[in-house]
Amino acid sequence: MSKIKVTRRTAVQMTGAAAVATGTTFGPQMASAQQGPVKIGLSMPQTGGLAAGGRASLLGIEVWKDDINAKGGLLGRKVELVVYDDQSSATTTPAIYSKLLDVDKVDLLFAPYATVPTGPIMPLVKQRDLLLMGNFSFQVNQTVKHDKWFNIAPWGPADSWGRSFIEIGEKAGAQSIAFLAADQEFAQNLVKLAKGVADEKKMKTVFEQNYPPNTVEFSAIIRALRGARADMVFVCSYPPDSAGILRAVNEIGIGENVKIFGGGMVGLQFTAVMESMGSLLNGVINFNSWLPEPSMYFEGTKEFFAKYQPRAVAAKVDPLGYYLAPYGYAQGQLIEQAVASVKSLDHKAIAGYLRSNTHKTIVGSIKFAADGEWEKTGTVQAQFRGVKDKDIEQFRGPGKQVILSPADRKTGEPIIPFEKARKG
Amino acid sequence: MRWTGFWIGAALFLVLAYASTFMVTNTFFFFVGYVMLQFVVLATAWNILGGYAGYVNFGTSAFFGVGVYTAVALFKAFALPLPLQILAAAVVGTALGVATGMMTLRLRGIFYSIATVALVIILETFVVNWKFVGGAAGIQIVRPSLPSFFPTYEGMLFVVAAVLVVIAVAVARYVEGSWIGRGLRAIRDDELAAECSGVPTLRLKLIACGISGALMCAIGAPNPMYQQFAIPGAAFELPYSVSPLAMALIGGTAHWIGPVLGALLLSATQQYLSVTISSELSLLALGVMLVLFVIAAPEGLVGLLRKVGLFKTGTVRPSNEKGKGT
Repeated sequence: MSKIKVTRRTAVQMTGAAAVATGTTFGPQMASAQQGPVKIGLSMPQTGGLAAGGRASLLGIEVWKDDINAKGGLLGRKVELVVYDDQSSATTTPAIYSKLLDVDKVDLLFAPYATVPTGPIMPLVKQRDLLLMGNFSFQVNQTVKHDKWFNIAPWGPADSWGRSFIEIGEKAGAQSIAFLAADQEFAQNLVKLAKGVADEKKMKTVFEQNYPPNTVEFSAIIRALRGARADMVFVCSYPPDSAGILRAVNEIGIGENVKIFGGGMVGLQFTAVMESMGSLLNGVINFNSWLPEPSMYFEGTKEFFAKYQPRAVAAKVDPLGYYLAPYGYAQGQLIEQAVASVKSLDHKAIAGYLRSNTHKTIVGSIKFAADGEWEKTGTVQAQFRGVKDKDIEQFRGPGKQVILSPADRKTGEPIIPFEKARKG
Repeated sequence: MRWTGFWIGAALFLVLAYASTFMVTNTFFFFVGYVMLQFVVLATAWNILGGYAGYVNFGTSAFFGVGVYTAVALFKAFALPLPLQILAAAVVGTALGVATGMMTLRLRGIFYSIATVALVIILETFVVNWKFVGGAAGIQIVRPSLPSFFPTYEGMLFVVAAVLVVIAVAVARYVEGSWIGRGLRAIRDDELAAECSGVPTLRLKLIACGISGALMCAIGAPNPMYQQFAIPGAAFELPYSVSPLAMALIGGTAHWIGPVLGALLLSATQQYLSVTISSELSLLALGVMLVLFVIAAPEGLVGLLRKVGLFKTGTVRPSNEKGKGT
């Protein structure tokens, strides 16, 4: 069972929720949260396909909540999280966020982890002119253009993700590219932007293949990909597919001409996947958000992981928590700094502060662009090296994922071609 | 219940629904209410084929998803108003229902059910590759301006769902008491015997498929305005196939009120559990309730109420047939 705060809500509130669900109105008699704790409301995928990431992210936010409460809270009030499980689905979040606002009367909103559950909330917060702190969604503000949206994810400019990968290949002498992508929202958005960068750099696209979600057998696709003889391969996949693709590459090989392989493979950031894939990861150059490399430590980073990792083991969530957890904490730090500065919970004032300042967090300095994304990308492209099978401890130190991009976080040069790097 | 009584009840329900949009300030009420009414329509529509004729359809989410994407396509292409989107979705749903029926109704029992599962996969794959409606990446919907006679958009969608509930229940009630319903029940009891007795089995099944498909698609059409977002994974989601079936079975398939009661009971329970205890438990509750009802009350809530004497009406007759219900 989930350990979220809502499981311990008072009998009065439970009765209230039941009354709403069965058609009774609360209206203005609902108690105001003004003098109680500062309530931060969010949904989080705790079941379904996004649960592994969602639970790690939530634990990161909870570590921040405990830290801020130990320091006296926000504006002298304790911070309370009101969390619901959105089941990784877009269908549940509109009602959940309506409940957070209209029944729970939360003071501030955090978005759920990932793009799909966040998509339906964007028009809602825009209509109500509310601040929303985004959590690793991709391009959800493109249509809505909400001025109070701030995404903690380090993506930066939309095409920077594909651009950084392609530029690594370009420097290695690549002139042609192959695209392999899952037929799902995030992968399709990513591959579309990467194609734009490849066109801009006049890269020749020699292979382009989308595959249906839940594909498990990739040998035919990898054989066709090998036959295309591309200089680099940009893959946009989800956790089960990422594993399937790497297994097929390991069995069949990808060809000596491929200089770099990877780019947008989701799943290779999660400890369980890294541990199970082991040496199959070697050589892959892939995106990540945080890695235990010397360039990634900022004030408070070590202390955060010292708190997170024992709790993660107890809570049975991602025991390393590199990908999402520190950003959950940093999301809280942004609110902490903004509220302390404007001395209010006013959404407009907080948004104004967040937009016009640079913020120091445990994941580095963050400055937001007009669209609410990072002004400068913090997404790293890193190459797996010397990874052994079934050894989680090896990922705690530096050297197993060498950062190739961006320049200010770089810790090494790529090993090319891919087949050479793959051998460890 | 006679038709006059039914229409008076329906009118009262609609007046209350409309009045609530002015009386209730809490929009969460409308979010929850909309979902509950949506499932009333889906369960009622499912029951027309699944309950009356005994053909178990696992493809409800295919029809619902087609309704969602018909509305998205028409809104994006022509900015059609919501009533026309719903009407168009109903027409598409009728055509899809009849076409699916013509292709699959030669299969019986489990084979028909498997064919309906395939329909979900085929249609979802089609939408995933249809870039105009957002494809796999989904599409965000910016709502058009609100009609002046509604205070909030959520309230308006709640009333739209209430109107569709009345239409769906009236249609189901008519089908149940008419020659169509009698024919469908004959098919459910023994299709071969019905065929030998002169019941036009294929024609009746196609009619049921068309009506059921129209209602499922029609209730899918307002969903993009409710969600303000459409993505194939959510529009063709498995719960849209499983929940209406469970709701109809728990409520009772023999009478039109069964799916209504089942949908209200189950969706209210799920909504309550998902925001108070956990979403995992809300799904577990559905399973546990289904098992309990199958064991303890195989005829559903309606059967249970009938046993304790709280529900006396049998199958209704259409308004042009005199006398009491059968």
